[in-house]
Amino acid sequence: MKRDPVVVIVVAMVVSLMLVFGINLVRRGPGEKPPSGPQGNNGMAPDFTLQSLEGKPLRLSDFRGKAVVLNFWATWCQPCKIEMPWFVELQKQYGPEGLQFLGVAMDDASEKDIADFAKDMGVNYPILIGKEAVGDAYGGVQFLPETFYIGRDGKVIERAFGLKGRGEIEDDIKKILGPGKIAQN
Amino acid sequence: MILKSITKFAARFFCCTLSLAACGQDSLGHRVPSITMSPPPIADVARGKANSVELRFHVGQDFHVNSNKPAAEYLIPTTLKLDPPTDIVVGRITYPPGQEMSFAFSPDEKLIVYSGSFAVEVEVRPLTSVLPGKYEIRGNLRYQACDNAQCFPPKNLPIQFEVRVVNTPRPARKNPGQSPHVHT
Repeated sequence: MKRDPVVVIVVAMVVSLMLVFGINLVRRGPGEKPPSGPQGNNGMAPDFTLQSLEGKPLRLSDFRGKAVVLNFWATWCQPCKIEMPWFVELQKQYGPEGLQFLGVAMDDASEKDIADFAKDMGVNYPILIGKEAVGDAYGGVQFLPETFYIGRDGKVIERAFGLKGRGEIEDDIKKILGPGKIAQN
Repeated sequence: MILKSITKFAARFFCCTLSLAACGQDSLGHRVPSITMSPPPIADVARGKANSVELRFHVGQDFHVNSNKPAAEYLIPTTLKLDPPTDIVVGRITYPPGQEMSFAFSPDEKLIVYSGSFAVEVEVRPLTSVLPGKYEIRGNLRYQACDNAQCFPPKNLPIQFEVRVVNTPRPARKNPGQSPHVHT
């Protein structure tokens, strides 16, 4: 039976496309940074108001003028527990230059458990009780930790999925601090 | 002949690509962990007795889940909860001990995890009043998975398996003691 040459060409094109797609899939791995910034906001970090552990409402835009590290975490997340002490040190070190860490707890745990956890870790920056809507605004936060590095102008400059080394975190902090202005309070 | 080979290759490549996609990826192309359960063979369980049923689970490659007794207080343990039919009692659930591991950035912090395959033993005890036959036991496995750099929210895997309730086997009859006397 004679085969249609068009079928041969179509099959060859499909195979080539699949090859390209497959290679792309294999190259991607965990921890690879996606295009920076949440979508649809001209790169601006979506504003939100969340309650802190002290019961006060905190709004992200209140920190405009500071370089903000917005870290989504949970008490059940072991990599989050590893990076938190680094955050505490970096907050002490770069706080005078205008750096502000904000931790958003995406947890089922009670506020008391979250507060006890943060106290045990020596956290020296605000911990906010997260809401799904805020996670959704930041692309879904499908796994933790997920960290957004927000410049003084409120734009997302870097985004990190998963645990990174302390050195890499510090490099990203220097990017958002910019040329070393101290923020006016 | 060449067309046949190309078509076969394309079909196999397509299946491989599909199965890669089935490993789970979110919209950004990140792999999402999963646990699956091998369908267990239907176990015969005797009425009035404690019977052991093994459920075998498989953790996706490069992921791990906390063991049933994780190393730290806040970590979410892997837990099996079952909801058996009336008059079938689920007794002790025995989990494997788990393996020690640590993250590269914190080699001193040990976790106790399951990775690859692991089996959970479930004690099933049908009451003597249960009629012989097949019964389905349902439940879920709660787990929380991580890879070497990130963790995923806790999830539930729906579980179902069948058991066949059988009569309690009669104990083997002992032969009565033989009299040393010859009877005529």
